[in-house]
Amino acid sequence: MASADGGAYSYSLTVFSPSGKLVQIEHALAAVSQGTTSLGIKASNGIVIATEKKSSSILVDDSVIDKVAIVCPNIGLVYSGMGPDFRVLLTKARKSAQAYWKLYGEYPPTKVLTQEIATVMQQATQSGGVRPFGVSLLVAGWDNNRGPSLYQVDPSGSFWAWKASAIGKNMTNAKTFLEKRYNDDISLEDAIHTALLTLKEGFEGEMTEKTIEIGVVTVPTLAELEEGKIGGETGRPKPTFRKLSEEEVRDYLAL
Amino acid sequence: MSIMEYNGGSVIAMVGKDCVAIASDLRLGNQALSISSNFQKVFPVTDRIYVGLPGLGTDVTTLRERFRYRINMYTIKEEREIEPETFAHLVSSTLYEHRFGPYFIEPVIAGLSKTPSGGVKPLIAAADLIGCLNFAKDFVVAGTASTKLLGVAEGLWEPDLEPEDLFETISQTLLNSVDRDAFSGWGAVVHVITKDSIISRTLKGRMD
Amino acid sequence: MPDMTSLAHPQQRSFNPYSENGGTILAIAGADFSVIAGDTRQSEGYSIQTRYAPKVFRLTDRAVLAVNGFAADGNMFVKKVKQRLEWYRHAHSKDMPLRAIARLIQTMLYARRFFPYYVYNILGGIEEDGTGAVYSFDPVGSYEREACRAAGAAQSLVQPFLDNQIYFKNQTPALGTSHPAHLPLPTVLSIVIDSFTSATERHIEVGDGLEMYVVLAKGRNLQGLEGVRGMQELTVTDDGERVFVVRRDLKKD
Repeated sequence: MASADGGAYSYSLTVFSPSGKLVQIEHALAAVSQGTTSLGIKASNGIVIATEKKSSSILVDDSVIDKVAIVCPNIGLVYSGMGPDFRVLLTKARKSAQAYWKLYGEYPPTKVLTQEIATVMQQATQSGGVRPFGVSLLVAGWDNNRGPSLYQVDPSGSFWAWKASAIGKNMTNAKTFLEKRYNDDISLEDAIHTALLTLKEGFEGEMTEKTIEIGVVTVPTLAELEEGKIGGETGRPKPTFRKLSEEEVRDYLAL
Repeated sequence: MSIMEYNGGSVIAMVGKDCVAIASDLRLGNQALSISSNFQKVFPVTDRIYVGLPGLGTDVTTLRERFRYRINMYTIKEEREIEPETFAHLVSSTLYEHRFGPYFIEPVIAGLSKTPSGGVKPLIAAADLIGCLNFAKDFVVAGTASTKLLGVAEGLWEPDLEPEDLFETISQTLLNSVDRDAFSGWGAVVHVITKDSIISRTLKGRMD
Repeated sequence: MPDMTSLAHPQQRSFNPYSENGGTILAIAGADFSVIAGDTRQSEGYSIQTRYAPKVFRLTDRAVLAVNGFAADGNMFVKKVKQRLEWYRHAHSKDMPLRAIARLIQTMLYARRFFPYYVYNILGGIEEDGTGAVYSFDPVGSYEREACRAAGAAQSLVQPFLDNQIYFKNQTPALGTSHPAHLPLPTVLSIVIDSFTSATERHIEVGDGLEMYVVLAKGRNLQGLEGVRGMQELTVTDDGERVFVVRRDLKKD
């Protein structure tokens, strides 16, 4: 384990410590666990991802801060950790989704996009002159092949599929909370409320539509699928991922 | 001299009722001289997709290998077989990568795609040599006999043909068209793709 | 004053006496009838000059000529053939037989071997023995008698279709049966209509209107022609060969 000053192995990213750890990655995980809590829950008919949005000062205009983001019409992201690092990853993810569209005429399945992001994050643990990304991600999406799926990606580049997970500050408590609350046939509406309840556990300050961000994945009906994936006017597919508006968040908080 | 006429050859695909057919001639020529009467230009992509690659012989081989590579990578990465529509886009983007130095191939794609309700939907498509896709409801043609194929198919094809009738229609269309094309002919191969089987037959034509 | 000698350098000017006016013609011979058809669109390049310019002409009561290629040459050629047939009538007090018209056309075309009429001709009608006949020509007079022929812009679309439907090419008759040598008139008419609708669908130079001339051998009944929509008889008596025309619309796009 790294000593207080970091120890002999802490500055070289690509050198293992004798205990078999890459200390920089441990530090990156530490950065993540200082970030605000984010969580995701897979419901029977969709997925919810949510996060706490915290400003360092009341003077910050938090309406322009986005922590839940759309990658492509069927996939969304949320993060805990370092905002700037997230923006870089988000841009790369969006470009990757568009490159996939260019090649195949459709957007990537959630797993494929997650793998792409994970590859980028892994490369940052092995390349010279860079540091690992200081974020963990929750990737929520829907695709024809696997339906709704929720993945977590860590700074090391490892990723898992979850039924529900939490990252960032209080993630251990949040996960314990989710374990108690989760069941396989939870509805999306219930999942949204569970998400808010979970966030409430470790919330500092007031939960309002300004301090909460929510994104949902909805599963298209069979009729919508039969209709075809291309929306007539725009040529773009009907989105299955969307962010909830402030009004919608306020309504959920009021209940 | 047109590059398409250097080796010759033609491909056609047709839609039927819950089935599709794709057929090609078997000639490989060196301009007017016939070299082979068993040059395949239609290849399986998955259990339910075939692709026909009429055009310059060397590019037939190169593109077939290119698509094989890309399909294998796709199948491994996505852990599933590619759908016909996705494959058509893959063909299109592969060709467009070479916009200013193209492969001299006009691919024809025939396949059955899965519908959300568990059925199958016939899909055919053709592309020009730089990948402009044409998803047709009835039939698509390519190669040196394309004008002939278009004329005959327009006269013989009808909607909702059963597999055996579709086989007869596509075979007659191809055979009669290549008989009027000096660059195509020397036998034909026909594949009919249905939900649970693929009928492949090699036909003798005029052989001259 | 400029020095004219220094400006004088070789210049080349050229005049192309030919153009190509699109359209397609087609003729099919039956046992005792002949069908000669053509679309009525006339185009030059991507412009449509007119939607009604006939390419099929009645020469006599037993001969119909379809002309396709350079319209100006075609019209002049038909005019000259008609003139020669008129002279023949004055000299012999009868219409020229079909096979003689065919030979006349070959002679007239070959006479212009080095400045040809830029047209493909198809002659259809009834021979002296009462059989239906089709003669096809190239621009310089090579000709042969056939059972069917397509020419013009959509020849490559139509001819293989006719090979299949008229000559039964690539079709094997059921055991103990054989393909008919001649098809009945209604069948031939629907093949002609199908050929032109197909050609119209896929060729930009074909469309607008369809004119089908039917020549019937002497003393034959109408063979189902009586019920055909848009039919009109061109001959006045029914004691010789009879000529009919069927006009149909084709798509105008």
